[in-house]
Amino acid sequence: MVFEQEQEEVTPGAVHGYRLSTVVPSSVTGEVDYALADADLAFKLHYLRGVYYYPPGDVARGLATKVLKDPMFPWLDDYFPVAGRVRRAEKDAEAAADGAPRRPYIKCNDCGVRIVEAKCDRDMDEWLRDDAPDRLRQLCYDKVLGPELFFSPLLYVQITNFKCGGLALGFSWAHLIGDVPSAVTCFNKWAQILSGKKPEATVLTPLNKPLQGQSPAAAPRSVKQVGPIEDHWLVPAGRDMACYSFHVSETVLKKLQQQQGRHAAAAGTFELVSALVWQTVAKIRGGDVDTVTVVRTGAAARSGKSLANEMTVGYVASAGSSPAKTDVAELAALLTKNVVDETAAVAAFQGDVLVYGGANLTLVDMEQVDVYALEIKGLRPVHVEYGMDGVGEEGAVLVQPDADGRGRLVTAVLPRDEIDSLRAALGSALQVA
Amino acid sequence: MGSSAAHQLKQLKPLYQHVVNNFVAVLAAPLAVAAVVNAARVGPDELLGRLQALRAVHVFLAVFVAAAAATLYVMLRPRSVYLVDYACFRTRPNCRVPFATFLEHAKLVTFVEGASIDERSVRFMTRLLERSGLGEETCLPPAHHYIPPYRNMEASRAEVELVIFSAIDDLLAKTGISPNAIDILVVNCSLFAPIPSFTDMIIHRYGMRPDIRNVHLSGMGCSAGLISVGLAKNFLQVAPKGAHALVVSTETITPNYYVGKERAMLLPNCLFRMGGAAVLLSTSRARARFRLARVVRTLTGAQDSAYRCVFQEEDGEGHRGINLSKDLMTIAGDALKANITAIGPLVLPASEQLLFALSFIARRVVNRHVKPYLPDFRTAFEHFCIHAGGRAVIDELQRSLGLSDQDVEASRMALHRFGNTSSSSVWYELAYIEAKGRMRRGDRVWMIGFGSGFKCNSAAWECIAPARTAEGPWAESISRYPVDIPEVLKH
Repeated sequence: MVFEQEQEEVTPGAVHGYRLSTVVPSSVTGEVDYALADADLAFKLHYLRGVYYYPPGDVARGLATKVLKDPMFPWLDDYFPVAGRVRRAEKDAEAAADGAPRRPYIKCNDCGVRIVEAKCDRDMDEWLRDDAPDRLRQLCYDKVLGPELFFSPLLYVQITNFKCGGLALGFSWAHLIGDVPSAVTCFNKWAQILSGKKPEATVLTPLNKPLQGQSPAAAPRSVKQVGPIEDHWLVPAGRDMACYSFHVSETVLKKLQQQQGRHAAAAGTFELVSALVWQTVAKIRGGDVDTVTVVRTGAAARSGKSLANEMTVGYVASAGSSPAKTDVAELAALLTKNVVDETAAVAAFQGDVLVYGGANLTLVDMEQVDVYALEIKGLRPVHVEYGMDGVGEEGAVLVQPDADGRGRLVTAVLPRDEIDSLRAALGSALQVA
Repeated sequence: MGSSAAHQLKQLKPLYQHVVNNFVAVLAAPLAVAAVVNAARVGPDELLGRLQALRAVHVFLAVFVAAAAATLYVMLRPRSVYLVDYACFRTRPNCRVPFATFLEHAKLVTFVEGASIDERSVRFMTRLLERSGLGEETCLPPAHHYIPPYRNMEASRAEVELVIFSAIDDLLAKTGISPNAIDILVVNCSLFAPIPSFTDMIIHRYGMRPDIRNVHLSGMGCSAGLISVGLAKNFLQVAPKGAHALVVSTETITPNYYVGKERAMLLPNCLFRMGGAAVLLSTSRARARFRLARVVRTLTGAQDSAYRCVFQEEDGEGHRGINLSKDLMTIAGDALKANITAIGPLVLPASEQLLFALSFIARRVVNRHVKPYLPDFRTAFEHFCIHAGGRAVIDELQRSLGLSDQDVEASRMALHRFGNTSSSSVWYELAYIEAKGRMRRGDRVWMIGFGSGFKCNSAAWECIAPARTAEGPWAESISRYPVDIPEVLKH
């Protein structure tokens, strides 16, 4: 039986040599089921893809796979729902008269998390400099839930070793199980265990319950209804989507802030950066980006549960004029003040929806998420980028802090043929004045 | 017979046992009384007179011959072999394989090129696992956590080193013995026999003496642990007094993942798990914990059906695996009967042997349909360590030997916690009994192993000192046992 050999010609410089294995919780979880909240189910068609790059050196050299894997066993004891699998409720439990698919839940059967080991014959610096669109997809195992939910892991961790000794960690996280802050906290806890520290306790109570309220008749404006989705939880966008990351330096941010003029001091960095991208995308598309969906971390509203989907979802409509012709400052002001919150309506809606890129271009605020805290044995990542899979055609823009915290890293998930135009259009705006 | 008659018989049984088991004393007592009475009647002066009439030479000869006979008897007796201590491989949480993971991996292997395993096989394995009596904490080697599993030599050696080196380290720490005090080294592992052998691996790692006697037993099946003990015992008879023998029993899982779809060959995938034990034997009684009373080996390989019962072969598509025949239980039962017949007379008290002989005669002479008397082995042993070959094997043996649930608890729980660890399972069971604090000085233990061949081997031990510490493979889990194992563990 063949394994561990290159099956076909390897494109030079591509990531290859994939080896899959599984990590399980170190102790028996028992017969536990994890109920999914309505808010969780609203995000089930999306997958977070985050890559952390670690520089070559002595520390990275000492990070054999075993060293990275061993702390995952106790880590999964705390996060046992992440090691479970999606099942649908038994027939008699949900007497859904309309024949709708039975409510999914997570069976905490300790099935585990998939670990992928891969190699790349290029230097990490070269890889980063190349700025290739969709490089995220090579470093994060791009599987989704389904077609067999029974056997689909909720989390994949890809460990890619570069020729120079640098290391990339790619996390593929099913949005269903938790939102961006939940995911990042979860990964940070693993790194803390690896470094020998005892992380904070994981809070998984109170248990999720289905909402009792009335489902709105139509999908809220922030999202798009799709489906009905059976067991393959991915809505293929009509066009090929790709992730492209670019850096917004501190200088550019300052310039944007100065340009606010009469809207002075109103908008924060997220609003400014995403307004810039909104305007650019509107220009590329020639209009028709009048409404945007805004998804924010909303730290104040969080319940403290370790696994939850508690990001706020809302929309902003540009009043009258086309965003392509509106000032960045004005758009930023709209984003600050005119967001119509639809979080509850989105959660209550019973149909299957696409939140990111479904109805509108989606702007995702990751400013308060501490992505650079994933330190492995004291080694801080030199670069972190977060993208998303399962994004609809309208696209999504994720704004996160950069390495030193003063600039911003933006990942745009757009149809592949719009990426070049975006690059070109942004080029001038991102130049230092 | 009426139930009251049976009840009366039951009450008479202990009396019967006392009489028959102490037959010599029962006979000797009245004789001694008669002799004393006779001597008293004769009178002390008369006795003294008779004694003085004896010639010195006759007296001397009588004493000398008796003494010589006694000395010869003592010298020609085989040396007693003692178990100084034993240590089982303590499983690591990073080797744990829950059912869900095992089945998911099997499912994913169906997509791998070159593997013939298919959907039906996965469903079959699911049903097997649910009824197997295994728990969710059993362990597979790290190479089997990959999809598809690694089965090469490097991975196999890595597993071997992990298991036996850690078991031997534990044993050396427990006994305080130094590696170069070991004179004999016997290792058994059926399914993996690299060059150099495991014994050379151990000698290399621990720096043992150049004149050590080492043997690696491969291909001897799941009962090889007791065969190794028997072999070490024989070595110790000819080694210098006080020699030490290290016996290591293990099974290497890594090279043996079956990727075909023959049902009879999928069962080992589901049952076999990582495990190993290291045992130190010696002819010196110092610091010994058990005395080896008997090792009895029975082989039934002369019959075709027994020979082909557990057979390693390649299936129709060329995938290598171990084929378990459908009549495994019957053959195991027959092998057990053969072994009981051999060991019974050696360990059973006279009372049971007499009953068995009477029942045997009754069947032969009087009436074929008289129920054969099942000797009660609980009169010979306090504890039973039955190889945890599988739930069916343990059930069958419990029935054949007339044992209670508590007698086979060690086997069932070892199967649940560790799976079928092949030749080392009897040691995990002994560790369970000791971890539960049930072992007392003077307790007798019966270890029964079954394996390909078809072999049934027994070893009888007598406890000299129970375990001094709670260290061992059960240390973390013993508080959760015994566990009620459902008939079908619904998944």
